[in-house]
Amino acid sequence: MIISKQEFLVRAQLDHETLEAWIEEEWLIPSETAGEMTLSDADLARAQLIRDLKEDLGVNDEGVGVILHLVDQVHGLRRVMTELLRSVRNRA
Amino acid sequence: MKDLYETLGVERSATSDAIQKAYRRLAKKLHPDLNPGNKDSEERFKEISVAYSLLSDADKRARYDRGEIDATGAEKPRQRFYKDFAAEAATDQPYQNYSGFTDFADHDILSELFRRGVNNARGPDVHYHLPIEFLEAITGETKRLTLPDGGTLDVTIPAGIQDGQVLRLRGKGRPGVGEGEAGDALVEIAVKPHRFFTREGNDIYLDLPVTLSEAIIGARINVPTPTGSVMMTVPKGSNTGTVLRLRGKGVPRRNGGHGDELVKLKVMLPEQPDAELEAFAAGWQGGKAYDPRRDMQP
Repeated sequence: MIISKQEFLVRAQLDHETLEAWIEEEWLIPSETAGEMTLSDADLARAQLIRDLKEDLGVNDEGVGVILHLVDQVHGLRRVMTELLRSVRNRA
Repeated sequence: MKDLYETLGVERSATSDAIQKAYRRLAKKLHPDLNPGNKDSEERFKEISVAYSLLSDADKRARYDRGEIDATGAEKPRQRFYKDFAAEAATDQPYQNYSGFTDFADHDILSELFRRGVNNARGPDVHYHLPIEFLEAITGETKRLTLPDGGTLDVTIPAGIQDGQVLRLRGKGRPGVGEGEAGDALVEIAVKPHRFFTREGNDIYLDLPVTLSEAIIGARINVPTPTGSVMMTVPKGSNTGTVLRLRGKGVPRRNGGHGDELVKLKVMLPEQPDAELEAFAAGWQGGKAYDPRRDMQP
């Protein structure tokens, strides 16, 4: 689902500067539609994760970047593992 | 319903700092995005989130302590975590990161699977069935297959192909995903039977009718072969069942040369009764002495 920047700020409870800073850090990677920045459900959930890390878990900014990088790798590994298991099953 | 203090593992008298500390300790272990794939931790995380959201708010904590709200009196817990999106196979996901295993891409067993990987799967093979004429199988031919999607595929049939043989056309199957190579087209050849030729390996068999006089006194006759007619000598005194071999008139062999054509003669009497022949047969003494069924006594 596509979410406009304005709607995203409301739903993620973020201010404009914070969103820009997170995009600058590449914690969020919005897409662009007709020159307008757009975000997705996944971006919203990811923003919520960043808020959890910062506000509830006391992770500082440096830590957030490290954690997101590792989380992304874990999901990459999980996808390959899924694919691998499917291939093995198909060959069996 | 579990006690909120118990959920967080703190005393009822715990300070708000202690509660936050307990929550963070548990949340670090249980946050679903830090434990993708663990259902239990997601449930436990929801519990501690609810507990923390109530107990971290001095007003709500006081009301909970007074029994005014129960352990569910919390705000609605989150329904979807980031992991739910990350697990979806959306290809436009900008956060994908496969760098975590590039170092085992060299591993023998895994390299093939990783090469084909999530984004570079080889396309599937496609099977086709192609009927061809008997003579096309012998001389070879280029046939054009019309595909279900309207496209065409030229299939070069090598001379001498056998019925049931499968031709593999590399890369003519379905396209691969990403950088994955296309699958192959597998074309199974069905050779239709011929009106009078039959085939055994690389040899051609033909039952050839000859007249009574050709069989008795011999003749030079025209014989069909897969590559046109040739002259053949029927020796004097040939019979039904006599087999004559035309060397090199059979099917091309894969490693050069050709099989043979084996011509089996079949003596045919005239279609219309012939008075002269009847009169001859009636008076023919030699014919009466010959018993072709002498070996067939039960």
